[in-house]
Amino acid sequence: MSTVLTEQQSDLRDAVSDLMAKRSPEAQVRRLMADDSGYDTAVWAELAAMGLLGLTIPEEFGGAGAGATELAVVSEQMGRVLLCAPYLSTAVLTPYLLLALGDPVECTEALPRIAAGELIATVAFAEAGSARPKDQPVTSAIADGDRWALTGEKTYVLDATIADRFYVQAHCDSGTALFAVERNAPGLSVAPLTTVDQTRKQGRLTLADTPARLIGDVGKGTAALDSALDRAAVALIAEQAGGTMHAMQMATNYARVRHQFGRAIGSFQAIKHLCVDMLLEAESATSAARHVAAAFDACEPDRLADLALAQGYCSDAFVSVAARNIQAHGGIGFTWEHPAHLYLRRARTDAQIFGDSNWHRERYVRLREENS
Amino acid sequence: MIDVTDDDVRAEVRQWLADNVDPALGRAEWSRKVFDAGWSAPSWEPEWGGRGLSSAQSRIVAAEFAAVGAYGTGADRADMLACTVRDLGTAEQKHRLIPPSVRGETRWCLLYSEPGAGSDLAGLRTRADRDGDDWIINGQKVWTSFAKTADYGLLVARTDWDVPKHKGISFFIFPMRQPGVEVRPIHQITGESEFNEVFITDARLPHANMVGEPGGGWAVLQLALAYERRLMGDLARTSRSTRDLKPDADSLIGMARSAGVLGDSTIRQQIARAEAYATVNRWNTQRAKATADRTEAATLMALGKIAMSRILHETARVQTEIVGPESMLTGADNPLGDAVTFRTLNAYFTSIGGGTDQIQRNIVGERILGLPKEPEPYRETAFRDLPQ
Repeated sequence: MSTVLTEQQSDLRDAVSDLMAKRSPEAQVRRLMADDSGYDTAVWAELAAMGLLGLTIPEEFGGAGAGATELAVVSEQMGRVLLCAPYLSTAVLTPYLLLALGDPVECTEALPRIAAGELIATVAFAEAGSARPKDQPVTSAIADGDRWALTGEKTYVLDATIADRFYVQAHCDSGTALFAVERNAPGLSVAPLTTVDQTRKQGRLTLADTPARLIGDVGKGTAALDSALDRAAVALIAEQAGGTMHAMQMATNYARVRHQFGRAIGSFQAIKHLCVDMLLEAESATSAARHVAAAFDACEPDRLADLALAQGYCSDAFVSVAARNIQAHGGIGFTWEHPAHLYLRRARTDAQIFGDSNWHRERYVRLREENS
Repeated sequence: MIDVTDDDVRAEVRQWLADNVDPALGRAEWSRKVFDAGWSAPSWEPEWGGRGLSSAQSRIVAAEFAAVGAYGTGADRADMLACTVRDLGTAEQKHRLIPPSVRGETRWCLLYSEPGAGSDLAGLRTRADRDGDDWIINGQKVWTSFAKTADYGLLVARTDWDVPKHKGISFFIFPMRQPGVEVRPIHQITGESEFNEVFITDARLPHANMVGEPGGGWAVLQLALAYERRLMGDLARTSRSTRDLKPDADSLIGMARSAGVLGDSTIRQQIARAEAYATVNRWNTQRAKATADRTEAATLMALGKIAMSRILHETARVQTEIVGPESMLTGADNPLGDAVTFRTLNAYFTSIGGGTDQIQRNIVGERILGLPKEPEPYRETAFRDLPQ
């Protein structure tokens, strides 16, 4: 197992880094924050053309068939600039879910369209009170011959207002399963949520006897969803690492140029030490994200414990570094116009969206107990 | 450098060890054999016990020696006296001092820190006064390991009080075995005594033992410190790559289980946090080793010491929470509390020793992040005029 990037992976990183610099500067991020759709269709098409939307989708379904390492490389760059796009939901979580469910018809239908940028899809797994899927979701599915109907409420759904299709976790008499619900299905209403992080849109679904298609087998939904969330978390922690690194660099750059008392504030130990502590968090988060990606690619037996540990660590690192970045900036960091708060908003969302850090730490200890 | 491959080196040293290791040989005899064969300091010239290998090949030799339990190699990385003299000593000093040191016939210690000069080492007040061909030394040094067994001390002392602090320091190879040198062990907070204080009263050394120019000692010291840091880095890397530097972290779950508190969610959270610090540091080290990007590697290695301080302090803190009231007790009757208190106190060995965490943050902030230094108002002030 190696965390050293191959030449191809370095090229990928450089290409994505260039693209992000061009297509996701702060002005664009601010424009999309204020926009209900929250993404730019032209940029989305460009991501598709570069093969980034199909990055982890197998070649037989029109993707590049890349591994977790490539995904982490790309996500780190997206996280640095707070890219506003339904990447995590559509290009990461959904493909991993469909592959885990192993439904060939759905894979054949949906994955090539996702890779081509023609389908925005998301996964509705959370219900009120928990960002993690429940073992027994309240949302119910009732069979009527071959057809299913869903009733219930899903929340914290990424990119819900722009999704063409939802993969909804629901329970039926014989277990838990995932169901596809089309945007225009009768009985479905989608309401935007007012989010702290305007760079990552969320919505709430209300389903009332809404027609749905069963994907995969009943009873295997929870395992497939857990596996997809783990694989998608590799991208999330890489985004967090990228955001942490950027916030640290913002603080450090500012400390070099901002003068008070006739000297750069970075010459004061109070600020210098703050920056070094942020550097330690940023580098450690980066190592964690890259290690976990490599561990998934190598199918390391400890990869889930490593992931759980890294999710707790990267979540806390991003939140604390983004917060200290505001402090390092002083007054200007308290203004809406300065980008420092955008990173804290993103960090606080990332620290919840796939479960909070206490949940991940508890999971880590549980996995370690099982192995000892 | 002689053009030999790593495999050649490995094969040759193996063969040599197979032919020459003999438990019947005395220490001196063995060391001389190793020296003559060029294994004492493999990356140096033959006259200093080397054979012109690369630094990486020198480590290969060390690994082969270690594999058969043989000693006597690695002076090119571990012998601070020989490293420093070889770089900056006169021809006479090299011939007189390097071979016996490399062969282990003479031993050295470090006389740098003083009670009044810790983080600000250049503020040292041990004085060296010229007396004919000799220098007379008076002062006090601290944190000296192996002072009792040393033949020489690498000494920094002030020879000029009328110039700014960095410019009035000279570097000496100081003979330890003489009247006027008193070594007293330091009783550490852990109860151990690894270090000593060295009191020097009217001790003498010949001018021939000054390394570098009078007043040029600070530069010599920087070189000696660089060798020391390299050695510390080597030691940290080798011990970190073995599994037994993590047992503290590894055993937290086991410790909590035996204490009957593994079901406590607060304890579980703290265990996971402490283990995360240790684990991400291991991943940092792995990334530093793997990368070809020198800046990335330097950044990660520079953070290692601060990270290790946090790991040790936090692990000890969580262990304290796990054993609870047992942490009030110590001694052989109370092994749990005893171990936890030892770790709690010994963590300061890392967060203070070799440069405090605070000084380390200054160094990382300035050298890695490029943040400006503190202004130095006394930069041009003669040492004797500095405020006390």
